[in-house]
Amino acid sequence: MRKDLTEFYRIKARLVAMIMFPVILMLLFGYMFPSGGGVDHIPIVIVQQDQTPAGISLSNSFIYAAQSSKAFDVSTTTSLDWAVNEITLGRAYGVVIFHQGIAQQLSSGSVQLEVILDQVNPTLDQSVKGGVMQIFSSLQPQLSASFGGIPANRGPTINLQFEGIVPGQQSSFEFLAPGMIAMSLIIGGLSGLAMTFSREKELGTLDGLLMTPISRISIIFGKSFAQVVRGLISSVLVFAISITLFGVHVYGSPVLMVLVLLLGVMAFTGLGILATTFANDQESAQLIMMMIQFPMIFLSGSLYPIIQLPWFLQAVAYFLPLTYVVSAFRSVMILNAPFSAISFQVYILVVITIVVYAIAIPLFRRSVMR
Amino acid sequence: MSTSIETNGLTKSFGELFAVNKVSISVKRGTIFGLLGPNGAGKSTLLRMLCTLLKPNAGTASVEGHDIETETNEVRQVLGVVQEKLLLYPVLTARENLELFGNLYGVEKSVLRERIDTLLEEIKLTSVRDKLVATYSTGMRQRVNIVRALIHDPRVILLDEPTNGLDPQSVRWVRDYVKGLKDRGYTVVLTTHDMKEADELAEDLAIMDRGEVLAVGKSADLKKRFGVSDIEQLFLELTGRELRDSLSGKVKMRGW
Repeated sequence: MRKDLTEFYRIKARLVAMIMFPVILMLLFGYMFPSGGGVDHIPIVIVQQDQTPAGISLSNSFIYAAQSSKAFDVSTTTSLDWAVNEITLGRAYGVVIFHQGIAQQLSSGSVQLEVILDQVNPTLDQSVKGGVMQIFSSLQPQLSASFGGIPANRGPTINLQFEGIVPGQQSSFEFLAPGMIAMSLIIGGLSGLAMTFSREKELGTLDGLLMTPISRISIIFGKSFAQVVRGLISSVLVFAISITLFGVHVYGSPVLMVLVLLLGVMAFTGLGILATTFANDQESAQLIMMMIQFPMIFLSGSLYPIIQLPWFLQAVAYFLPLTYVVSAFRSVMILNAPFSAISFQVYILVVITIVVYAIAIPLFRRSVMR
Repeated sequence: MSTSIETNGLTKSFGELFAVNKVSISVKRGTIFGLLGPNGAGKSTLLRMLCTLLKPNAGTASVEGHDIETETNEVRQVLGVVQEKLLLYPVLTARENLELFGNLYGVEKSVLRERIDTLLEEIKLTSVRDKLVATYSTGMRQRVNIVRALIHDPRVILLDEPTNGLDPQSVRWVRDYVKGLKDRGYTVVLTTHDMKEADELAEDLAIMDRGEVLAVGKSADLKKRFGVSDIEQLFLELTGRELRDSLSGKVKMRGW
């Protein structure tokens, strides 16, 4: 036992990873699941189609109540298309539509309002749904008062109709599937590459490759490409299982989905190369990988919405390539987002890949050629 | 006889430690050159510089006329290297390993196929060519490891302690094979701790210690010059009899 612990202490990469891993994990979970309060400041869009005084008054009351409660950050528009597009772009999680004819509906005693939910994350959907219902319920006395002080239970009622942005009923797994697919990419790309390099270093076979006339870049890209294939195979498997066993539907373009996945694997393999320069053996590589992978999985929005995280973890999330892979992949797969809707994520992934490779390749060269 | 390998003041240091210090040697083409020295003498570092795995800090070296720093690809193409560790993938078969390295060296497909057959025949492993290397004995693996270094038909072979850990039969086979390589015109640089092996195989010898070459020349000439009867005596005379317990000055921990 003493020997094993001494060994652990003397191999610094393992020691640092061993200390950092539980620290990161605990901080992560501690802040991800705060003891009090739910998600607030959820961005939503109000569509004010009814421009009559009654319509404006009702929607303004809602906006005022929503902002006062801090549950929502509200933006307004008259265009439903614009509002829906905000959801597709991942900039809003719900749309409340005040259709034309509010005044007539108020007089008839029943107002019909439509709420479109993002559907990308069930937890967030529930928060939006609950928040909207609560606000309208709090507006009920005010509505009754505006109708001559009649009791609240006899004033006009507001009926909310909730719909998903994609027609039809989705299974909860549908929302998790894109994240799961992206995660299998990490395992394939990131850890696969770091493990293969560290294994070759440990066995000595890397020297055999380095002594051949092929360039270092070719070795890196050859190995990266193998991991790309590996990552894509596991993604396809997750994909197939999601579709056949759990009824997940694909609404978007397969070409765009493959593009996002490819960019993701490229970014992760770059990170894998970077990590491998710090680890000479497989165990160290594995620990370093876990230290990178776990926070990435939990912070990227694969399993929980990023908006649920405290601000500083949200800031960290926006530096992680997986965040952009998950967001883009989910938008394409579930919301049928076109390229223009995910172009920001795509460009960010391209930039991350270039930056990571620009750092990783010289470091790798240095690590194998001292 | 022309020169195959030439080093001039070749130096490699790791921090304060000079692993190879101003080494100047010349290896004649088509000969076996023995490189002897105690552990940590700098033999392997010298070989790693020659095969372009390490950059020298000072000095120059060439292999078959190609500079090891400016013509790395040419050097790699004319060199075949057998390191102390096996440069084979255990989950590939012998044929697959040879194919992989042949492709990496850019050997033409038809030539490669023929060469693999010939080499496997030479090492008497044709019948198990499609078995995983992981299932081979140590001796069988070393035979494949040696011919792996020949797959691109290099002109110079660097062998770093090729008989380490082998049984007497395999040791005999390796020695005979190395002699055969010389007869076929290859230049061989051999490092070994076996003095008899060095005396039997090498025409020229260099004895290194603490990064420097202490003596170089033909075995018989060296024995005569230092008044000793065998190479082991000469080795101990030059490198001393005390145990080498000194620290290398730099501890390289795996994993950091």
